[in-house]
Amino acid sequence: MSAFTIEPVDPRRRRADRVSRGLVLALTLVALVPLVLVVYYLLKQGLGAISWEFFTTDPSGSFLGDPGGVKSAIVGTVMMVGLAAVIAVPIGVGVAIWLVEFGRESKLAQAIRYFVDVMTGVPSIVFGLFVYITLVTSGFGGTSFAGWKGSVALALLMLPVVTRSAEVVLLLVPNTLREASYALGAPRWRTVVRVVLPAALPGIVTGVLLAVARAAGETAPLLFTAAVVNDTTFNLDERMNSLPALIFQNVGQAQDRLVQIAWGAALTLVAMILILTLLARLIQRRSRLS
Amino acid sequence: MRYSRILAVATAGAIAVGVAACGSSDDDNSTTAATGDGAAAATLSGTLNGAGATFPQPVYSEWANRFRDEFGVTVNYQGIGSGGGIAQFTEGTIDWGATDAALDDEELAAAQRKGEPVHIPTVLGAVTVSYNVDGVDRGLRLDGATIADVFLGRITKWNDPAIARLNDGVDLPDTDITVCHRSDESGTTANFTLFLSDYSRAWADGPGSDKSVKWPAGTGARGNDGVAGCVKQTQGSIGYVEQAYALQNDFTTAAVQNKAGNFVEPSLEATSAAGEGVRPPADLRFATINADGDQTYPISAVTFMLAWQDGCRAGLSRETATNVKAWLNYALGAGQEVAPELAYAPLPDSIKTQAQARVDALTCDGAPIEVPAG
Amino acid sequence: MEAGVVHAAGGRRRELEGSPAARLPDRLLRWGLTALSVGVIVLIAFFFIRLIVESEPVFSEQGVFNYLFTDNWVPSRDLYGALPLIVGTLITSAIALVIGVPVAVATALYVTELAPRRVRQPLTVLVELLAAVPSVVYGLWGFFFLIPKLQPATRWFADTFSFIPFVGGSVTGPNYFVAGLILAIMILPIVSAISREVMSTVPREHKEAALALGATRWEMIRMAVIPYSRAGIAGGAMLGLGRAIGETIAVTLVIGNAPVIGDSIFQQGYTLAAVIANEFGEAASDPLHRAALIAAGLVLFVLTLVVNGIARTFVVRAERGSRAAAKPAAGMAG
Repeated sequence: MSAFTIEPVDPRRRRADRVSRGLVLALTLVALVPLVLVVYYLLKQGLGAISWEFFTTDPSGSFLGDPGGVKSAIVGTVMMVGLAAVIAVPIGVGVAIWLVEFGRESKLAQAIRYFVDVMTGVPSIVFGLFVYITLVTSGFGGTSFAGWKGSVALALLMLPVVTRSAEVVLLLVPNTLREASYALGAPRWRTVVRVVLPAALPGIVTGVLLAVARAAGETAPLLFTAAVVNDTTFNLDERMNSLPALIFQNVGQAQDRLVQIAWGAALTLVAMILILTLLARLIQRRSRLS
Repeated sequence: MRYSRILAVATAGAIAVGVAACGSSDDDNSTTAATGDGAAAATLSGTLNGAGATFPQPVYSEWANRFRDEFGVTVNYQGIGSGGGIAQFTEGTIDWGATDAALDDEELAAAQRKGEPVHIPTVLGAVTVSYNVDGVDRGLRLDGATIADVFLGRITKWNDPAIARLNDGVDLPDTDITVCHRSDESGTTANFTLFLSDYSRAWADGPGSDKSVKWPAGTGARGNDGVAGCVKQTQGSIGYVEQAYALQNDFTTAAVQNKAGNFVEPSLEATSAAGEGVRPPADLRFATINADGDQTYPISAVTFMLAWQDGCRAGLSRETATNVKAWLNYALGAGQEVAPELAYAPLPDSIKTQAQARVDALTCDGAPIEVPAG
Repeated sequence: MEAGVVHAAGGRRRELEGSPAARLPDRLLRWGLTALSVGVIVLIAFFFIRLIVESEPVFSEQGVFNYLFTDNWVPSRDLYGALPLIVGTLITSAIALVIGVPVAVATALYVTELAPRRVRQPLTVLVELLAAVPSVVYGLWGFFFLIPKLQPATRWFADTFSFIPFVGGSVTGPNYFVAGLILAIMILPIVSAISREVMSTVPREHKEAALALGATRWEMIRMAVIPYSRAGIAGGAMLGLGRAIGETIAVTLVIGNAPVIGDSIFQQGYTLAAVIANEFGEAASDPLHRAALIAAGLVLFVLTLVVNGIARTFVVRAERGSRAAAKPAAGMAG
């Protein structure tokens, strides 16, 4: 066996290699710079507002006195997003199940997939507009602005995200599981409910959490549907406060204390969404490992 | 797997709690109609929803806070601009509106389809001409024609002879002027452009006076705060903002030449003087721009609340109509004393009396509204 | 599912087939879910039709062509030429793509090909955290922090490189470029995630073949990874584009809201989404203005449809490509 020499790499190519890899690393770091800057700015502006009272008192609207906290906004966001999830998740998962189990590659299924994809791209403000012209001005349900109407706008936003991610996860459930279930004599619905769904559950939960995170941060749909109020209310049939709306309203006030409240609210909102996102990823990782 | 199941159950539980709680309502916000044949309820309660101009937002916000403490009625106010206030008032999605510019004929006609809108002037505020120029202190002298030329884009540098002519001894730099104006429909804009139209033919024939105009030059920003931000961030900028915002940002403001020929800086006294120099018509659709008076600040704007002459016929509940009247009484009463603390001028007595008479005449289903003494 | 297999079981066949009553839940499930899915299409159709109906007044008043191609948006004079809005939307989205896609692809490349194993997960999470920041926060950060910080730099750039078209000229604080930059940051996570997915499915054989031929790491990426992932990355870029087109709050805070077509990318402009947010409050009582804004929403919707359609063709092409690539690989392994 003759020894064969491995030629050293042409130094020009080696340089190109190193430069390109350096460039890729540099761009990657560039991508992270905004994150650091935004978080730093949020902390700088909003940390001063954070206190126990901040979370437990309502905004007072007072210019000369104590500006209060953001309790009503937190409650409002949680309730409206919660209701939006209650609307969007069953429908989204239902559509995903239909696509995977029944529709498959049929023309109807392809059409539905296309339209769901389209919905992902529709700007949130168009949803808010739609709800405004169909539900708010018509005084549907006897009210003009109402928390639940904001939830409807958010649900429209969440629906395509939930459907899409649920479909991806349901497709990943191995067919062998389904076949085993059928072989044991289980009817279709039992298979879906008792075998497929549980297997896909972590992935679906991840998708739901990400959709919730997206909805919690949206301002535009709420501007025309839920309005802004100061007091805490648990009645979704009334106007409700929300963190994005409070931020948007207060950040431009001619009173520095109110502006700081807005930044504190922004910090709170980002923290909430961050936790949801990390939670979603954690569940995803654990399910992959198991 | 176990983790996700626990989480799923917890999430579902939280949502269930939320939905269940949705049935219960917070006491402060009950909007059940007051017990009522014709007799007024013993005390006031409920919620009032208003929206409109950002110009008076500081003072309305403070009033709402105190009104709630004193009378137990929650007043929600959203600063969406005068145009928004008029629109939502006309649509019926709010109980009372707020605007810096009285309804024009077209808007009046639109509103009259629902009922008769009543204009109640509340306070006067100064529209300052704020600028951010290194080395130039407050009190720069400007007249209407010059300001108009700046906003028309005809004067582009701070050391332009037109500005220098008015300001002997002031060292004006060779910096470009950046104009900051509103991008949304605004009563502040309406008042400011009214002033410009009075002093500049070119402005009156060109962009004209309206809540929103086609700006020949400059950067647009949303709300008084947006313009304030624009001025604050840009060297050599000039913009028009309400006095409260100028104070908050410590802006240098111009001394504007008034009808009497004097250069007056925006101050509480100068703004009040504008109110003294005006005699409003019966329907209270007026403006205090370019008012008479020696020491009047010429860009003083009066701002209005809008209410329905007969609230119940226009769609409000009896309780809401009563609350609106109580709120207006407060605005014209105790509220007037709060206004100066926020740099807004209270109404001069003559106008206040006229306004109070209109409030007293508000009706519900044809009968005068009785407001319980809170 | 037919239990025909159990013919032989004879008497037990009926038991295993299940009585018609037992089939009912199955049928209910199927029809229920079908109705639900069709319902989604009906909803979107209703949505579309409602938008068209509500925007009809401005089209009958001005004509569709006039609305789309006139550069004159003056609501106070009942003039609704949406060209500056459409141009602004396209410019900011284009800037977002030009800046965002290369950076996103770079992060995806780094994570899948070049990063040390332990760094991969945390880096991925960090890029995804960019998506956790709500748009209003990006907008405010852009307005209060980015614009003042960038102004001197953009002014220098505009002066030095004024020979490049659309760069020279005056520089305003809020402008197309800043809006595009913020949008780029916002679409980064989506494009990066999709690129990452696609790149991780590049068959090992392709990469190993390139390396075996003596390619350097970068050359391997250039020869094996990028060509394979191209279609998928394009699809991801289209999705990012869709997001950029519709972004409202962040853009309206940093674009200057001037209904004009600026001379350079450093001047202010307006977008379709921003105009709706800014003007809808007061338009509600002016039927023509309201119709004009809803028409803006309609145009946005149609743009989204088109962009999504394009994205789909890229994705399909990518899938076809991966299937084609898998075949020879299988052949090689065999």
